[in-house]
Amino acid sequence: MDKVIEVNGLRKSYGEIKAVSNISFSVAQGEIFGMLGPNGAGKTTTMEIVEGLRDADAGSVKVLGLNVKKHPRRVKSHIGVQLQATALYPRLTVREVLDLFGSFFPRHISADKLIKMAGLEDSRGKRCINLSGGQQQRLSVALSLVNNPRILFLDEPTTGLDPQSRRNIWRIIEAVRKAGKTVFLTTHYMEEAERLCDRVAIIDQGKIIATDRPDRLVSKHFEEQAIEFELDQHIGDDELGNVSGVTSALTEDGKTIIYSSAVPTTISALLELAHSKGTELSNLHVRRATLEDVFLKLTGRRIRE
Amino acid sequence: MRVFSKLMVAHFKQFIREKAAIFWTFAFPIFFILIFGAVFGGGEDTTFPIGLVMEDDSAVAGQLNATIQNVSAFELHHGQRDDELGALEDGDRRAVLIINEGFGDSISQGDQGDIDIYYDPTQTTSQQVVLPIIYQVIDGFDRALGQAPSMIQVNEETLQAQDLRAIDYLVPGILAMAIMQLGIFAAAEIVSDRENRVLKRLGATPLRRSTMILSTIAFRLVVALCQAGIIILVARLAFDVPMLGNWAFLLGMVILGTLTFLAMGYMLSAFAKTERTAIPLLMSIQFPMMFLSGIFFPTEMMPGFMRPIMDAMPLTYLGDSLRQIMVESSALHSQLINFGVLSGWLLVCIIVAIRFFKWE
Repeated sequence: MDKVIEVNGLRKSYGEIKAVSNISFSVAQGEIFGMLGPNGAGKTTTMEIVEGLRDADAGSVKVLGLNVKKHPRRVKSHIGVQLQATALYPRLTVREVLDLFGSFFPRHISADKLIKMAGLEDSRGKRCINLSGGQQQRLSVALSLVNNPRILFLDEPTTGLDPQSRRNIWRIIEAVRKAGKTVFLTTHYMEEAERLCDRVAIIDQGKIIATDRPDRLVSKHFEEQAIEFELDQHIGDDELGNVSGVTSALTEDGKTIIYSSAVPTTISALLELAHSKGTELSNLHVRRATLEDVFLKLTGRRIRE
Repeated sequence: MRVFSKLMVAHFKQFIREKAAIFWTFAFPIFFILIFGAVFGGGEDTTFPIGLVMEDDSAVAGQLNATIQNVSAFELHHGQRDDELGALEDGDRRAVLIINEGFGDSISQGDQGDIDIYYDPTQTTSQQVVLPIIYQVIDGFDRALGQAPSMIQVNEETLQAQDLRAIDYLVPGILAMAIMQLGIFAAAEIVSDRENRVLKRLGATPLRRSTMILSTIAFRLVVALCQAGIIILVARLAFDVPMLGNWAFLLGMVILGTLTFLAMGYMLSAFAKTERTAIPLLMSIQFPMMFLSGIFFPTEMMPGFMRPIMDAMPLTYLGDSLRQIMVESSALHSQLINFGVLSGWLLVCIIVAIRFFKWE
């Protein structure tokens, strides 16, 4: 498959802080590629370098075969960009903003068509300042589609949105993929990465620590299932790790997760241990491992919102 | 060009849809003029102060005096020639009538008696209202003498007031202030656009930065010109403030002033990260400028140690220039110096802005 984004050895520091240290990846034509990581991991910096909005200290970026640094305007006319939290022209209406942005590109999609794509029919005459958070975000995505781009860049497209609005955005992104476009998005929501992305790069502290299909990332790192519970009294992770069938254990914020390849055995052993310590388990549940668990395993930390 | 006009329309819509912006740009300066005008007087008086100098003590002169005294539109001041003409020069009289010595004798001998009328031609009310009343009164008196042909010879003399009325001084200053505020406060919007990533988002399109900046500047120029038009019109209608000079020259100085202060706005926007920190910075620049540039009152009233500050401020020169053009005030600096200093500031601000301006 054609590679539409090729990034090699990217580095970027802000003073002492290494925002991006030696990142390389590529994105194929037509896929949804996600960068998953906590805030400050370097996702936005990486994305903005690829878009040509920031200069890297080192490394090369090719978008659609073009060197971004040498041909920024040509690249910009073929990509669609959505930034985190932009407040554009608060007193223009949805239709007016789409129309204005269209005029920046030699070829563009009509405002009405974009309004339909983003499901903003009822708000076309509304001023941007009066839109709800979800509507604003849909407008922001619609704006990034105005030039009918070959690659769409979405920086945390659903951060801060309620579940309903989040699903609305997902539907738009899925429709975009259906139209054959490539999508590069960043997120710190596991479920978003699992549901949308063909491939996910897990990024932490400026480095990519794993890249693969979401299901393969999980299966590669976990044969076991996750058991989550809370304890009245603390039991050390070492002790929990010795429970029959348990491969690893982690307690954070009063919540304990243990991973087990033999769930029934583990649970009865766990109950016994708790009983002998005179404590009780609450909120016990068993689930299959997710990308969250992968991140936890690889970094020892959770991704927080 | 199409993008440029689209951006202009967008700026326009953004502007007229914000009531606060409209108020600050248009209503505020007008408010200022009306309040200052009311405080300093110079409004449309119901009575006009007229000076009457009686250099002839004949009976017929006395009758004319009485007739003029009966005109309710006049507030009559009797005095000596020099005092009354001085008062006219100070702007305290709308006209001064002098009944010359020998007026009565001439009439009784069947000759024409001489009256001189002095007025300030720059005051349109004097010409359009006061003079016709005077002529009407004298004409009536002339006919009552019952002898044809006319027995009274009226000589018109013009004498321009040296001291401007407070309102005449003030209005060009307010125009200069409005231009300064328009330019400097553009910085707040630039900073907020940067803070809200608007500049960055626009930067992610093929839109050229030069187009972006030029459209903003062009739009603000249009606003400045509208503002100037409205201020001049209101001052004219409410307080009879004249526009004596060359309109093209005025237009040129308004444009130069707007560009200078816009450049200053762009320069200042480089030194504030957020809109919240930008506002105090802009205030600390605009307030001293407002009060030390002699736009509200002559700088001679200021203590001497402030002179260097006043002489450095671009607003001093814009105010002086506009005042010279509009009401032909005596020059603080020559127009060449005004033009030169403003251009110099423009250049410096552009250089500093280019050096320090950040897009994000």
